[in-house]
Amino acid sequence: MSEPTSSEYVAESPAREAWRMYRRNLPAVAGAVILLAIVAATLYGSFFYAGDPFDIVWAPHEMPGVEPGFPLGTDYLGRDILAGLLTGGAPTLTVGLAAAAITMVIGVALGALAGYYGGWVDTLLMRVTEFFQVLPALLFAMVLVTLFSPSIWTIAAAIGVVSWPQTARLTRAEFLKIKELEYVTAARAIGARNKRIIWKVILPNAAAPLIVSATLTIGVAILFEAGLSFLGLGDPNQMSWGLMIGANREYILDAWWPVTFPGLAIFLTVFAVSLIGDGLNDAFNPKLRER
Amino acid sequence: MSALLEIEDLRVTFRTRYGEVTALDSVSLQVNAGETLGIVGESGCGKSITALSVMGLIPSPPGKIAGGSIRLNGEELIGVSPARMRALRGSDVAMIFQEPMTSLNPVFTVGDQIAEAIMLHQKVSPDQAFRDAVALLDRVGIPSPDRRARDYPHQLSGGMRQRVMIAMAVSCRPKVLIADEPTTALDVTVQAQIFDLLNEIQRDFGAAIMLITHDMGAISEMADRVAVMYAGRVIETATADDVLDLPQHPYARGLIDCIPTLGRADHALKEIPGVVPPLHLLGKGCAFADRCAYKFDRCDAEKPLLTDHGRHPVACHGAEEGRI
Amino acid sequence: MSFSFLIRRLAYGLVLMLGVVVLNFLLIRLAPGDPAVVIAGEMGGATEEMLQSIRAEYGLDQPVLTQLWIYISNVAQGDLGQSYFFNQPVASLIGQRLGPTILLVLVAQLLSILLGVFLGVIAARKPNGPLSAFVSVFSTLGYAVPVFWTGIMLIILFASTFPIFPVEGMASVRLRDAAWYVRGLDVIHHLVLPAFTLAIIYLAQYARLSRASMMEVLGSDYIRTARAKGAGERSVLFRHALRNAALPILTVAGLQFGNLISGSLLVETVYNWPGMGRLAFDSILRRDYPTIMGGAVLCLCHGGGGQYPHRSELSAGRSAAAGPGMSGIRTTGPRRRGAAAAGQEGANPLCAPGGGAFTPGIFQARKRAG
Repeated sequence: MSEPTSSEYVAESPAREAWRMYRRNLPAVAGAVILLAIVAATLYGSFFYAGDPFDIVWAPHEMPGVEPGFPLGTDYLGRDILAGLLTGGAPTLTVGLAAAAITMVIGVALGALAGYYGGWVDTLLMRVTEFFQVLPALLFAMVLVTLFSPSIWTIAAAIGVVSWPQTARLTRAEFLKIKELEYVTAARAIGARNKRIIWKVILPNAAAPLIVSATLTIGVAILFEAGLSFLGLGDPNQMSWGLMIGANREYILDAWWPVTFPGLAIFLTVFAVSLIGDGLNDAFNPKLRER
Repeated sequence: MSALLEIEDLRVTFRTRYGEVTALDSVSLQVNAGETLGIVGESGCGKSITALSVMGLIPSPPGKIAGGSIRLNGEELIGVSPARMRALRGSDVAMIFQEPMTSLNPVFTVGDQIAEAIMLHQKVSPDQAFRDAVALLDRVGIPSPDRRARDYPHQLSGGMRQRVMIAMAVSCRPKVLIADEPTTALDVTVQAQIFDLLNEIQRDFGAAIMLITHDMGAISEMADRVAVMYAGRVIETATADDVLDLPQHPYARGLIDCIPTLGRADHALKEIPGVVPPLHLLGKGCAFADRCAYKFDRCDAEKPLLTDHGRHPVACHGAEEGRI
Repeated sequence: MSFSFLIRRLAYGLVLMLGVVVLNFLLIRLAPGDPAVVIAGEMGGATEEMLQSIRAEYGLDQPVLTQLWIYISNVAQGDLGQSYFFNQPVASLIGQRLGPTILLVLVAQLLSILLGVFLGVIAARKPNGPLSAFVSVFSTLGYAVPVFWTGIMLIILFASTFPIFPVEGMASVRLRDAAWYVRGLDVIHHLVLPAFTLAIIYLAQYARLSRASMMEVLGSDYIRTARAKGAGERSVLFRHALRNAALPILTVAGLQFGNLISGSLLVETVYNWPGMGRLAFDSILRRDYPTIMGGAVLCLCHGGGGQYPHRSELSAGRSAAAGPGMSGIRTTGPRRRGAAAAGQEGANPLCAPGGGAFTPGIFQARKRAG
């Protein structure tokens, strides 16, 4: 007994149907709302709450909620934590997006080539992929960042360079699966060239898992950036959540709040991103729709 | 005399996103000792659900036995404790599945899998169980059973695997053997061998067989009695000869017309138009009405019940009113 | 495991290591500035003599290929260079730090696999039950929490509120002269928080993965066969299902080692654990390249030796034992996507996303029931 899927009864474009599924998924919508709020706070927060996060504005280690001017307290130097939170998201989010973009470009390109052409191309590319996969990613990224002096772009590039292998594997797996399907054979039969088949035929059909993967890659990249700046390898001229935690690490037993709030910010951001990723995954995966 | 396996008014429901649908509705069947009951119908008509209900293997949730009774040797199976059901499964009632390719666990040798079935129900040593397993493999016609017992499922062909499944199913001499489309996945030549084997097994072990199939040919070869199912109900039941020669229900006729007959060129192979309706779209009338050439007003208004109109029980208003 | 297999495994490890050594070499040359200055690190102005000796040792005045050869042959002889910051040969520096890292990583790996798989298997029994919900939530949370922050939060918690575990270092100074087993217990005591911190993300990951993998397996025909035999629930779960579900779990476990090392880098920094991660952190802050590069080579020996062959071993095992049987299974779209997601999951350095893709297992069961 095959349960009828809704596509049998209602013809809808896949994207639209996915959107319909996504909207009905409460955690996914919540994730999107949280992320939008964080992005908005990062972009526009400084309009409403001015202040340089590096300025020493008050006594060190002021408890949150005590001094109305500094609702989240101050850190070990007397810097405003809320100001840091509002400005510290920018490098994290930028790096997250940029690194995910780099990851996707490298990963999809190599994975597509390997999966589509197979043979020695596949073997060679997969060996290279495995090589990059066994590199301890964080260490490798640290080395890259230190060698090429930290800035948002070197950090994003470093993270991209260490995280593309899993995207490449996923893309390859999708290509291997899809290239056997009838419509690819049909495209070949009408004389479509390889380039066209890769771009216009296979890639759109592999889009769903790749979009999900891209979303989750953003989350990983954000964690990466946070880890690097926690270790003191971020851009030193820019406040970031990881840097706030790293800088206040020595004093955690005196004051919990300077590390707790930025950590929560990172956590919330990545959590929102992963809720979105899961929601997209469910929305794209027709089998799950029957639930 | 009470039957060995008696199903009465069985009702099974499934929770789906269309709400609760009734997969089986007032299904009543009997299997007597030593006989073969054939259950026929298209995919989705409830044959496998019936079998799984007897085995206590309805996936739950979403499935649920909503009413009725299943008695094996007089013992009520519905509501029985899980432990008792486990004790009965594999020993008193065993099942052969449709997919020999996937029904064996890929990480154990076939010998071990048969031996496991034996050890679950009999107090024997592992060595003895394995020797019994080898003997069973020999019995179901597997050459060099000693060696084969140490093979993994993927090393065997589909037909061989189905023989292994049969060996496993009969390992504890079950009183009832349920065979759910045992040959569907196999080559035609192998199908005949498997049916022969089932017949032999039945002779030797005296098991009653409940044969589930959509293949009327298999029914004519194997079954003593037949129950035709459609959309979760039994719509006609009688001896195999009666159903094959004088089908009452238009659906049963359709099924029989689908059997290709050798040497009858005038007899065009027919098909039944349409498909089984989705369960959640069943109305209050006859489920077959939309596909039926003899449909009249009453068919849409009222569900026909399984009643004997002189020949044998059938659920059809047309047959009742003599229109067919 | 056959001999030729072992050889292949070693060969692959060697090629990998060679790759890293070359990569190291290239990176130092690609970095802006004089390589000798780069190697000397930020010593507050290396003396000209020191730069000269570095140039001589690394052959920096010779052609690039010669330089590469010198570097490779040095590494092959176990000479990873001299740390100008610690003023020690890098090899001996690493030798001191290797043990604690291996201990931490192995214990964390073991902890996360055992607990995670157990949780996942139990959760898979009831895909809509509370434990399943817990595993989903826990794994999503585990994915999103930065590991160094978890560590810090645990330190705050255990340093003052519940002072039952030490929050720093690997051994108590006051027990330096105690009997060996006292010191051993002391190390275990110190290990609790770092290992748990490191394990927690991977634990969540294994729980989710094994739940997904188990649910897929539990929907398969041979599980129904096992039930039809009258096998008990425990036997179905742990004997019939887990053996099949273990393949993707083990694959991921193999891939996880590199990520664990990344994680241990952060955890060691947080807990002042005297391991490689701490060393890497210190040397990166000091721009002590020979140490960083030496550490990278070593991490890769570890990764290369332990990890890739593990996978090939698995795939070999797969094709021998389960492979053809498995490939005989009608592979449905989502099932494959699930497999792809498994690969993805295994590879993701700090997280475990995409498990939802596996969930169709139960639907297959439901569908076939008709």
